[in-house]
Amino acid sequence: MERRTFLTTALVGTAALALGVNLYAPEHIKVNKALDSEHRLLFSVLLPVFLDDALPEVEKLRIAAQNRTLDAITQTISLLPADGQAELEQLLDMLENRLGLLVLTGSMTPLMMRNPDQLIAMLEYWRNSFLDMMVTAYQGLRELVLASYYSCPEHWNRLNYAKPTFLEV
Amino acid sequence: MAIPDPIVEGLASGWKHIDASQLSQDQTLEADVVIVGSGAGGGVAAEILTDAGLTVIIVEGGPLKSSESFNMEERRAYPNLYHQAAAMKTKDKAIGIFQGRAVGGSTTVNWTTSIRTPKPTLDFWAKDKSVQGLSREELDPWFDKMEKRLNISKWEYEPNRNNQALKLGCENLGWHYTVIKRNVKGCWNTGYCGMGCPVNAKQSMLVTTIPAALDKGATLVSRAKVIELEHHNDKILAVKAQALNEQMQPTEVKLVFKAKHYIIAAGAIHTPTILLRSNLADPHELLGKRTFLHPTLLSGAIFSDPINGHSGAPQSIYSDEFVWKHGAASGELGYKLEVPPVHPVLIASKTIGYGKTHAALMEQFNQLQVTIALIRDGYHEQSQGGQVQLTDTGFAIDYPLNETFWRSVRRAFGSMAELQFAAGAKRVLPITEGAPYLNSWKEAKSAIETLDLGPLKTVVASAHVMGGCPMGEDTKLSMVDSQGNSHYYENLSVMDGSVFPTSLGANPQLTIYGMTARNATLLAERLKSSS
Ligand SMILES: Cc1cc2nc3c(=O)[nH]c(=O)nc-3n(C[C@H](O)[C@H](O)[C@H](O)COP(=O)(O)OP(=O)(O)OC[C@H]3O[C@@H](n4cnc5c(N)ncnc54)[C@H](O)[C@@H]3O)c2cc1C
Repeated sequence: MERRTFLTTALVGTAALALGVNLYAPEHIKVNKALDSEHRLLFSVLLPVFLDDALPEVEKLRIAAQNRTLDAITQTISLLPADGQAELEQLLDMLENRLGLLVLTGSMTPLMMRNPDQLIAMLEYWRNSFLDMMVTAYQGLRELVLASYYSCPEHWNRLNYAKPTFLEV
Repeated sequence: MAIPDPIVEGLASGWKHIDASQLSQDQTLEADVVIVGSGAGGGVAAEILTDAGLTVIIVEGGPLKSSESFNMEERRAYPNLYHQAAAMKTKDKAIGIFQGRAVGGSTTVNWTTSIRTPKPTLDFWAKDKSVQGLSREELDPWFDKMEKRLNISKWEYEPNRNNQALKLGCENLGWHYTVIKRNVKGCWNTGYCGMGCPVNAKQSMLVTTIPAALDKGATLVSRAKVIELEHHNDKILAVKAQALNEQMQPTEVKLVFKAKHYIIAAGAIHTPTILLRSNLADPHELLGKRTFLHPTLLSGAIFSDPINGHSGAPQSIYSDEFVWKHGAASGELGYKLEVPPVHPVLIASKTIGYGKTHAALMEQFNQLQVTIALIRDGYHEQSQGGQVQLTDTGFAIDYPLNETFWRSVRRAFGSMAELQFAAGAKRVLPITEGAPYLNSWKEAKSAIETLDLGPLKTVVASAHVMGGCPMGEDTKLSMVDSQGNSHYYENLSVMDGSVFPTSLGANPQLTIYGMTARNATLLAERLKSSS
């Protein structure tokens, strides 16, 4: 690619990304856009896909469940050993950056501008990839999101499960 | 309801416990014996050596947690009580590994199944691995002793429905099964062993041997991660450790432990890691190699009646139908059939897929029976286990899964499906990418033939880490002798699951208890007579 075209595309892309963020950041997700060091925005886009049918239908409950899961994800990440954290951070950074997106998903469109079917297609592409890197990216995110979601007792209703209460006075 | 907490009471009575996270200055401590690790091996050694009148320091990397903090929630238990918050994986991420990291080690979180070492295992070690003096006849008195000490006895209650399915399937097929012995006293049959026993019924090291050693004056240092051993010629001079804060991150504080004798009991994976990091003599390059995991496969089954696999003793039945079927080392790899407890995070993460299909599976949480097959690794020439390697930041476990392994996996999926249908399952779901729900044994049989199995496709897990610092008399095969004493350092022993020359083909805790009881008793006699 010629240097000039590359730069132009990069600039356009950055603008699009910024636009994407502004336009598509869901209102209810508690993120400080300037300081999204916890990748909340990114996860807020992925959660509805990973948790389709698991999240409550009532909007208020769904939003609360999503926010709770985002907090749990932050907590889970903080518990990973340094190596694991570094690997995950690299993946999340790539997903927030156009070139990274191109490498991982074959498209530069920011994730928040993709619709659920496109996001599912992306996950399926990783899941079935012949490259271990892609498969582990899928599995890493999958495990992080699902473990974080089901770690919250508030999300056990659908399982008809609750922990025993004999210890409660 | 308030449950008496022996740890809270012991601390109040004046136990010598140092929580290294609270230290602001470097420390040097001395004793007759320093023990690294407080799990099955470290706990038993600590009690026996203290009983013999020796002064003992137990150095544990994990925190001292007790029943008052065991709230039956995975989100608290995994970070507090497990290595890497229960998310440890092999280098290629194909196998998830559960290992305890707290006072009591893996015994604080294990599922209480207590099985004496199978005879074919001991025979194989004697014949092929130069192990001496560990026949069943020689070990049985030590098993008797530890079974008594830890209240190990046959589980007399009705198995929970998850285990009952295993039993019923075996009965209907005419397969072998056994009622499990458990190390519990006054068990409430709740099913939360894996998150720390909330009622102190599990006779883990946390509530038995460690309190006994502390009562007799031993010192426990928690949140102190041992980094390396200092050594010169054939002597160990000191153990060096790093204090960890409450978030388990290193602080500035360093600890040094000095003793006449050193016992490393940090478990398979960590014992070899510490020894490798210390650059100890290893002329045949054995350290860290031959690490075994009993790599384990899962098969889900949907029943029309509730199974409630979260409730009741997690394991009370096992089947050895396929463990030794093809001999110890020839033919196909054998596997043991058991069931795991079913809890939300465990099941959500150790299944396949996401979104609608995953949510649908989770909705059947209470109808879900799970059977597991634990593959007996380390015997067959095509089953040589994995390797613990040092990295810049810690360690990695490289465990290649080869064709011979996948052949066994296919057979194991078949056996589990056959068993689950025989027990009345409506549908069976082998936990591997691309497997559909199967509606009959006939359908399962042909579908399993063609499943696309492989690393990162098939869920493989382990709760049994073994090997990496093998015992035996032949120095070409072993790092320590058959009593756990180093071949190269006169004041160093290893007493934990890392000394196994192969996997066991049975759940490991009782083997470690029995062998350590013997080895620590012999060591105590030697140390006493030389002082
Ligand atoms: C979830 C689960 C369920 C299980 N269920 C059963 C069962 O039902 N029956 C059975 O027989 N077995 C079971 N096991 C396995 C069994 O508990 C272990 O095999 C046994 O406890 C191993 O004993 P060990 O002494 O080798 O190591 P551990 O008991 O793991 O103890 C090692 C200790 O050393 C500490 N350590 C490690 N590195 C360092 C360091 N650098 N510095 C200081 N300390 C360190 C660790 O934190 C740990 O506390 C289970 C294990 C798990 C994880």
